[in-house]
Amino acid sequence: MNRILPAILAVIFAVLLCSVALLISGDDPVQAFTTMITQVGEGQTAVNVINTGAVYFIAGLAVAIGFKMNLFNIGIEGQYRFAVIVAAIYGGAVHLPPGIHTLTILLVAAVAGAVYALIPALLKAYRGVSEVISTIMLNSIVAGITGVLVKPDMFGVQSGNNLATAPIPPSGRVPGIPLGSAGTLFGLVFLAVLLGVGYWFTLGRTRFGFELQASGESATAAAAGGVNARRMVLIAMLLSGAVAGLIAMPELLGRDFSYGINAPQGYGFTGIAVALIGRNSPTGIAIGALLWSFLDKSAVSLDNIGVSREIVTIMQGVIVLSVVVAYEIFRRRELKTQQQRVGTEFLSGKTAGGEA
Amino acid sequence: MKHRRRLGALGVAALAGTLMLAGCAKDVNGPGSGASSGGGSGTGQGCKLAAQPPAAPAAATSSQEQGKGVDGSKMRVGLAYDIGGRGDASFNDAAYRGLEEARAKLGVKDSREVSAQPNETEDQRQSRLRQLADDGFNPIITVGYSYAESLKAVAKQRPKTQFAIVDDDTIKLPNVHPLVFASEQGSFLIGVAAAYKSKNCHIGFVGGVRTPLIQAFEAGYLQGAKAAAPGIKIEDDYLKPAGDNSGFNDPSTASLKASGQLQKGADVIYHAAGASGKGVFDAVKQAGGGALGIGVDSDQYFQPTVANDKDIIMTSMVKKVDQAVFGYLAAFASNKLGGYPKRFDLSTGAVGYTRSGGKINDITGPLDAYKQQIIDGKIQVKDKP
Amino acid sequence: MSERTSEPSSPRDGSEETEPAVELEGITKRFPGVVANSDVSLRVRRGEVHAICGENGAGKSTLMKVLYGMQAPDEGTIRVSGKPVRFRSPTDAIAAGIGMVHQHFMLADNLTVAENVILGAEALHGIGRRARARIAELAEQTGLRAEPGTLVERLGVADRQRIEILKVLYRGARIVILDEPTAVLVPQEVEELFATVRGMRADGYTFVFISHKLDEVRSIADSVTVIRRGESVGTADPRTVSSGELAEMMVGASLPSPCTEDATVTETVTLECAGLDLLGADGTRKLLDGVSLRVRAGEILGIAGVEGNGQTELVETIMGLRKASAGAITMRGSDGTEHELTELDTLHRRELGIGYIPEDRNRHGLLEHQSLWVNRILGYQTRAPIAKGALLDPAGARRDTERIVAEYDVRTPSVNVEAAALSGGNQQKLIVGRELSQDPALLLAAHPTRGVDVGAQALIWERIRAARSAGLAVLLVSADLDELIGLSDAIQVMLRGRLVAEADPATVTPQELGAAMTGASEGGAAS
Repeated sequence: MNRILPAILAVIFAVLLCSVALLISGDDPVQAFTTMITQVGEGQTAVNVINTGAVYFIAGLAVAIGFKMNLFNIGIEGQYRFAVIVAAIYGGAVHLPPGIHTLTILLVAAVAGAVYALIPALLKAYRGVSEVISTIMLNSIVAGITGVLVKPDMFGVQSGNNLATAPIPPSGRVPGIPLGSAGTLFGLVFLAVLLGVGYWFTLGRTRFGFELQASGESATAAAAGGVNARRMVLIAMLLSGAVAGLIAMPELLGRDFSYGINAPQGYGFTGIAVALIGRNSPTGIAIGALLWSFLDKSAVSLDNIGVSREIVTIMQGVIVLSVVVAYEIFRRRELKTQQQRVGTEFLSGKTAGGEA
Repeated sequence: MKHRRRLGALGVAALAGTLMLAGCAKDVNGPGSGASSGGGSGTGQGCKLAAQPPAAPAAATSSQEQGKGVDGSKMRVGLAYDIGGRGDASFNDAAYRGLEEARAKLGVKDSREVSAQPNETEDQRQSRLRQLADDGFNPIITVGYSYAESLKAVAKQRPKTQFAIVDDDTIKLPNVHPLVFASEQGSFLIGVAAAYKSKNCHIGFVGGVRTPLIQAFEAGYLQGAKAAAPGIKIEDDYLKPAGDNSGFNDPSTASLKASGQLQKGADVIYHAAGASGKGVFDAVKQAGGGALGIGVDSDQYFQPTVANDKDIIMTSMVKKVDQAVFGYLAAFASNKLGGYPKRFDLSTGAVGYTRSGGKINDITGPLDAYKQQIIDGKIQVKDKP
Repeated sequence: MSERTSEPSSPRDGSEETEPAVELEGITKRFPGVVANSDVSLRVRRGEVHAICGENGAGKSTLMKVLYGMQAPDEGTIRVSGKPVRFRSPTDAIAAGIGMVHQHFMLADNLTVAENVILGAEALHGIGRRARARIAELAEQTGLRAEPGTLVERLGVADRQRIEILKVLYRGARIVILDEPTAVLVPQEVEELFATVRGMRADGYTFVFISHKLDEVRSIADSVTVIRRGESVGTADPRTVSSGELAEMMVGASLPSPCTEDATVTETVTLECAGLDLLGADGTRKLLDGVSLRVRAGEILGIAGVEGNGQTELVETIMGLRKASAGAITMRGSDGTEHELTELDTLHRRELGIGYIPEDRNRHGLLEHQSLWVNRILGYQTRAPIAKGALLDPAGARRDTERIVAEYDVRTPSVNVEAAALSGGNQQKLIVGRELSQDPALLLAAHPTRGVDVGAQALIWERIRAARSAGLAVLLVSADLDELIGLSDAIQVMLRGRLVAEADPATVTPQELGAAMTGASEGGAAS
């Protein structure tokens, strides 16, 4: 209850605030929110929400791995963009049997993402350079790298005014699940699910997951507990980068098959928002990712009925802020309740073990 | 909705500007003065110019009369903008002006405008087009080549709807009509003009983002300048690599690049950088010394956002998306889409240069001569550098 | 609360003499889960040293925070010189002439003495000559010997404390709260402080003196109020009441004693440090300087020293949290084999059988926002019953935490509550339980009973003693000399990173130990 309630309250708060904003701008909030909800049932929106949600989910996981140990890996953005163009070039250049082709593309993407995270990881672990600074720098560098790689004299193919990598042949693609007029579900939605399960298991059940969280909560206590901080920084950053490398794979292998200059950016930053909403828990991130994706899709429908779609941006911002605030309030309240319970125990002199 | 109304007013103002521009553009074809090579004042001696092509016969371009007597009141026009939407002072606004003209001249009553937003995914663009089609809009005009993939998918799914796409001609479908512009041809003339006007025989180009679309501007400009003055020095910069569209909205970087070019000695700078162009103009104006800037897309001499730099704007390379859009709608209304052009070059008058401000009145002779050469196919302008 | 003066009927004549400097009446302050104040009353006469006594967690600090305006009472009134007041912040309290010297000093190391004093009080005497004159005047009164231009980082604990007192006086305080001022001092420094306090008392200052050290209370205080579990038990005259009686008032029972029974020291050397050097962050200053020591199985070796002389660094170097620049550490692990530790990481050392009770449990011992059972994992993430291979065994960790909770009397409703919800004593019992649970050969115990209640203290002492009797080697660092003398089989004194003296806990007195710790009689404490 305490895990879901703050999020629900935050969404309600966001809806109320946006209603006010809509009223001020002269739009009808009821119409706006009705449209947002009914659009899900229309056309391919529902499937698109899930497809993009899967992408955001992977991005959220990549961010959360860093968050779990207090690493603010803003570089997810750069890591995934570097990974996707490398993977797209690789995928378009090789010819391998189906399955193997796909797997190697995924592997290349993960490795490329990790490689791009290696620089900030080393800087952080050995020189104490803030990962925030170094990853921001690398984010801006990645635009140059993709710009160069996608040039026609490098790996790009020009089609009209568009520039993109050579298309990945069918052997490397991941077939989707066709749902008729409702659209096609990306096959790699299941990669997202798999990553989510892996994340949950690693954090909750493995020594590595424990050490990661311990380092995040208290670097000093973790060190005293035998956790090698430097090693954890390296592994966490690389893992975060590897997962980041997979962010754009559902789209690349399920729909676009090449990476070009029109490709959307910003999944890495969306991942930060989603991880915040989800409080780094896999289910939370999943809910956050779907919510974010749903809001994104709403923007198109709102624009279509002439409602200022900026309302969606406002809503996304308000939700992130209020979720963070609401969880903090709830966390404090929870601690107080626990202290009260402990206090009662203290006064009555009972212990848990004594009763067991 | 206050927002929209304000923008509407802006649009009208812009429209007024275009009408004036149309007048100017026509004047270019009038009997120009024969004043040839410019031995300018100041330090520079100007370029050693190549022999000028034979003077062109004064010929009137086709005046845009498609709209006359066509009834478009039954049309329901969908207009899908690229990122930036209405108010971008660039091709989205130009497309809007085309729609406005159709409202005025064709009596179009029902229309809907929607806009792309930054970082949206492919499926969002598709949804946008599908929603327009499913709500009964026909024809639907998409602005910008970034719609190419989406339109390819949606046009197949909605074969009964007619689509047009600006800046892309890769979709080979019966219900998709491309509207592409030979901006390299217009840029060629701009290159010629720059060569004629440069006192140091040293000019510059600032591109917003290194995409093929912008490289066509660059290629034409370079070719034109070298054709007019083989020994000319040319600075050539881009603000951002392909894929980073912030280059179209980064006046401060543009200003830095332009200042660098000016310091190296360039004294005429042509930009193809959207809203970043303001930075180029600002730098040119600050440099003073007779340096000039050249605008792009619409006649920037009349653009409110760069009004302060008016006096250094030598000319603009216009790409009349409005004209193409209006013409398309008129052709659709009169059911003559089949004959409507898909490519707009110098011969159609949809690309060209402006004379607002009067700074190039003295060189219209050579410019017209080069123009005729291009129209006649005697000069082939490349669209890749 | 109005600022009205006392009613006309109250006796006004001679009130200058009898009006209490501070009067707290019916103060109640509720905190969730913590014993706070319940209907506490306190009268402090002008010009007296009034001690507040009580064990850790009894509510002394809360009461003082209420008096100093740091916390608003839920109920009750405060009167200063007979006038009811309501403090919204320490600023209000200072304006009323009340100042507080905190247990943890709040000084800027990189500023001079004078700058520290003036900082934030520039409006009073400016920052020029007037301010310097005032500081000089107060320095004499407070017995501060350091020059006003000295950087604080060069000064020792006693001087820093004087600066804190000076700061308070500079801001115009006539009533000074001293929060456990002797905790950081060696006995000689305590005596000097008391001399200063007595002198100032003669000058008309009033002191509220918080302590749980009964001998000190009896030596300095004019009256003592005892607080137990948030309630005032009563006020006594320290000249007539005995320490035993006071202790009974404090805890409702007699105080535990740390005394160790028969020696269980064996011949087996469990830990041997030889010539350990540790360089500071600047790369030149030696934090440890040729430290050599041996701890045998069944032995508790106490390390005495004024804080900041290298004890913390010694423990952390043995633990592998700091890297020695020279020297060797050899240890006989739980499996009976010898290992050279210097190249091993912390986890490896733990696996060989080192248990670690860190001096700051919140920073080094616990993950505060994790549940108790997750805290059980910390440091033992590779071993049964917590781990199976690379995987954790949450059920096993839970079960073993429940065992610790029962065996170590950790008072908690369940092992699922956050560690932060527990009181300090219960947190410490959990840590001690954890560190003694996996068959350690060596226990590094740094201030194992600091800031815990008497009950927890007794239990912790008992468990450490029991483990030592069973063959555990213990390296004990403590600032509590009674604890050190009571528990240890042998004591080494540490000064400026070196072991400078040995002492026999059977014969040494705290005074002798204190002298050795300050270097007053280098080598002379051995007896």
